Amino acid sequence: MTVPIDQHTELKQDVTFRIFRFNPQVDSKPYFDDYTIPVERGITVLRSLNYIKEHIDASISFRAFCQAGICGSCGMRINGLSQLACTTQVWEVLAKSREPALIKVEPLRNLPLIKDLIVDMDPLVDKMKHYSNWVDSTMPESSMGKKEFLISEEEFLRYDKATDCILCASCVSECTILRANKEYVSPAVLLKSYRMNVDSRDALHALRLAELVKDHGVWDCTHCYRCQESCVKSIPIMDAIHGIREEAITLRGLKDTSGSKHAEAFMSDIEKKGKLVEATLPIRTNGVLWTLQNLLPMAVKMIMKHRTPPPPPLVKSSKGIKVFRELFREMTEHVKQDHKSHKK
Amino acid sequence: MKRYAYYLSCINESMTKEVDRSIELWQKDLGIEFVKLHEGTCCGGSNLDYVSPKHFALVNARNIALAEKQGLDLIVSCNTCLMTIRSAKKKLDESPELKKEVNDLLKKEGLEYRGTSEVRHLLWVLIDDVGLDAIRQKVKVPLKNYRIAPFYGCHILRPSAVLGHDNPLDPTSLDLLIDALGGQTIPYSHKNRCCGFHTLLVAEQESLNVAAEALEEAIRAKADFIVTPCPLCHTSLDGYQAKALKNAGVESSIPVYHISEMVGLALGYSAKELGIKRHIVC
Repeated sequence: MTVPIDQHTELKQDVTFRIFRFNPQVDSKPYFDDYTIPVERGITVLRSLNYIKEHIDASISFRAFCQAGICGSCGMRINGLSQLACTTQVWEVLAKSREPALIKVEPLRNLPLIKDLIVDMDPLVDKMKHYSNWVDSTMPESSMGKKEFLISEEEFLRYDKATDCILCASCVSECTILRANKEYVSPAVLLKSYRMNVDSRDALHALRLAELVKDHGVWDCTHCYRCQESCVKSIPIMDAIHGIREEAITLRGLKDTSGSKHAEAFMSDIEKKGKLVEATLPIRTNGVLWTLQNLLPMAVKMIMKHRTPPPPPLVKSSKGIKVFRELFREMTEHVKQDHKSHKK
Repeated sequence: MKRYAYYLSCINESMTKEVDRSIELWQKDLGIEFVKLHEGTCCGGSNLDYVSPKHFALVNARNIALAEKQGLDLIVSCNTCLMTIRSAKKKLDESPELKKEVNDLLKKEGLEYRGTSEVRHLLWVLIDDVGLDAIRQKVKVPLKNYRIAPFYGCHILRPSAVLGHDNPLDPTSLDLLIDALGGQTIPYSHKNRCCGFHTLLVAEQESLNVAAEALEEAIRAKADFIVTPCPLCHTSLDGYQAKALKNAGVESSIPVYHISEMVGLALGYSAKELGIKRHIVC
């Protein structure tokens, strides 16, 4: 079909790529270079970067391989959001861009920078090793090749989505807690850990979980959902993080952490009063000493402003709490039954 | 007068009482009436969902069913309560088995979760139902001398599959409200970031760093105050402000208001009436 010439021009426009540049061996600080190129509809950010590297400036460094959203190499921040350059359409970015015809390209956050758009993935790999992000088979070596592992559909569905992860590190780049502390486990490693921990073929569940509940582990996630929102494979990462927490508390009884004590306080307060008893939450989470050391100055200010939460006896229960409590406890019986049949 | 069921968030009944007090002052001025749900219970604060997914479903099916019984939408003024109750609603609407199990229990209290009431944020009601033009007409004291940093918080934006009102990458509803009240919004890159509240008792240093970053940007931009639609963000940014900024080596401070107080100020109520004097940073 012949397309009139004026429509051709509409399908092509000049776009400026403002690219982050930094070579630690030469540069004292990072800077941006602008490259303006004609871009047709349907062209991805990666193809544009390849064009710039081939035709304008060969010194730009970025990582890319499959060009099809499979290998996870070309994660970078495009107009502020961590995503894959190879699956991101220039015209789609422009449609949401505040500045017309300008796309800012920067390296992923929360990982050490090597050069320009390339970050060092080693810290992420080291964490995957630390948290045993692989299946260690429950089958004795002597039986391997002779017996098959049968996996139920129900079990498969539990980790089906999690196995879609291609380790592009977009979630790592967007993570709130990692930004505050680089020692934090990171969402990608939590997702992989969950995927291994719900796999019945794996023998390392207990070991992995014991590591995950320690400092900088699963309890440090602050529920901001940035990881899930930026996932290039639309994996519900928070479900995996919550899944690890649920397993730690409910199935394995790993309750001696501030995170699990904090979470369980909600359950017990709702059953008792229908309301959260906030005044004692710090003590129940971290003990009296921690609370005095960490919260006393703030508590004094709050008292002066009449802002302190009421002590437990003064927390008014929800209206109709007695009937509610019966329903709540009946549900507890349902859950017990579920666990029994799950064990069978 | 349009009526809504109003969900009582735990924190608004204890630490941030000024939020509900402010709403009570001005609701009728804007032609809306919030009927408080005293029978409602804590939503689980984005924790109950993994401690016990079934109790989480029961508790929030009941919270919504209480509003449905009155034929009203359920309005929430805390981001986390909003996200939590909407997540439960999504799970219930997608699972007939879970809905049946929960309803078999709720029957004993004469309640039924049908899925007919929407669960919405106060901010959304102001924008979508009251309307920006109507709000503009009611303004008595325009906030024209104020440079305001809009801090949306996480759980009114993400997960977008559950919330879906604003674009989580570039939200606008709070900016529009500020504009309608005559205030000046400043460009604020932390507008859709996190306040660190949910890990204040579990990973305190990390949370304080997160809060300090948001506060510092607003201070550097010479904002007069930060405004948020969430009492949890308010607590992190106001209650923990001194500690967070000291930790970050910043010698300054900035007031933080809830949207209900900002609306109240523009409608002519005094800081004292609205309870703003109860804030740690005034």
